[in-house]
Amino acid sequence: MTLPKIQRTLALFLLATLSAAPALFADDSPAELLEATIREVIDTLHDQETLGVEDKRNKILDLLQQRFSFDIIIRRALGRNWRQLDETQQEQVTNLISDLLIQAYTRELKNGPKPEINFLGTEELSSSKIEISSTVSYKNNLVAVSYRLANVTGRGWQVYDVLVEGVSMVSNYRQQFDEHFQTKNAKQLIELLKSKIETPDV
Amino acid sequence: MRHSLKLCILFSSTLVLTVASRGQQIGLEDLIDEDLETGPPVTINDPIEGFNRAIFKFNDGLYTKIVTPFARGYSKVVPDPIEKGVGNFFDNLKFPSRFAGNVLQGRLNQAGRETGKFLVNSTIGLGGILKPSDDIDGLSPSDEDIGQAFAKWGMGHGFYIVLPFLGPTSLRDFVGDFADGAVEPIPDPWTLIDDDTDRLILQVAEIVNGLPRLIEIYDSMRRSAIDPYASVRDGYAQRRARQVNE
Repeated sequence: MTLPKIQRTLALFLLATLSAAPALFADDSPAELLEATIREVIDTLHDQETLGVEDKRNKILDLLQQRFSFDIIIRRALGRNWRQLDETQQEQVTNLISDLLIQAYTRELKNGPKPEINFLGTEELSSSKIEISSTVSYKNNLVAVSYRLANVTGRGWQVYDVLVEGVSMVSNYRQQFDEHFQTKNAKQLIELLKSKIETPDV
Repeated sequence: MRHSLKLCILFSSTLVLTVASRGQQIGLEDLIDEDLETGPPVTINDPIEGFNRAIFKFNDGLYTKIVTPFARGYSKVVPDPIEKGVGNFFDNLKFPSRFAGNVLQGRLNQAGRETGKFLVNSTIGLGGILKPSDDIDGLSPSDEDIGQAFAKWGMGHGFYIVLPFLGPTSLRDFVGDFADGAVEPIPDPWTLIDDDTDRLILQVAEIVNGLPRLIEIYDSMRRSAIDPYASVRDGYAQRRARQVNE
């Protein structure tokens, strides 16, 4: 290789790295990723034709699991009560609560109009945590929804709490689980969750 | 040549460093085990839980069996802009309570803004049906009441109370609501309207119009809750704590 040739190769390499850099950063923005996922979930819910009920549910769960760490959300909500569950129960409870949450918060949306979502901004909570705030406008009502994300080793930015009108869902469930385990056990919790999923209106 | 190579190495290493330093990561177990951000959970004393749960059960039956079907029907029948206009109208009437709440908390600026808003909406906004103040900088809505002023003064909740029909409150906020009532045109004293029937109709109209919004939230929450009573109680405590801090 002649000297100019090497220089040209280096220049090309430099150019390639430089042009790749902005893309690397833009693609990484947790707020953009979250927004894309939420929009995809809503589109899937309103997709009347192509998917059956079961397929739709699975697709939504897959989409959400890319950004939401349900295992972290549920273990934080259970707190010290987590240790009252054996391994099988832990897995059962994690699956049942994920199902219950998705069922409760998507039921209303699928037949109604599409909610209008506005992502407002990102605030740094600590060196490994951020809060992304948004508003959801649905049938004339404006609801503030904030997502707390942590940069989890091996997973990247993951939602670990959702605040609706300032009320932390993890904290709210923590209170309910504490109340439950004061008088009842893990088996009763699993039965309760199952019956809630089967008969949502009772 | 050597110069370009150096430049290249320097640039590449800077890039690697920048990527690496973009926020630290947190281990899965550390995140699970750490305390919740809210610190010690916002709690509220509930010495009359048995009584409260009974009222809660009564309200719950009322909301789901009677109010929800009605609210859904109302939302379907009444066009959205009208529903919104009715909501704005009642919002505007709550001005005196927000004003008093702001003054009692020593927030004269906000109290002034509330007055400006009330004047703009009552005049250009056709008695509050439209909300032109939302388009004016510095007149965006605030959410104050006298219960929050009590809290700012260091008064605790006292204890949690579930009221028949109306739902959760605390001793402090309940007393605050009475004070709000004294400065609010609804329900009393309504100096402008002497006729009892008219006053009642307006009160019912306010509650009916606010229902669809509350019912949707209540319903999703109820369906996803392990213990709806504990969920609503905690939601109330967290929400009030946040409103007071704002």
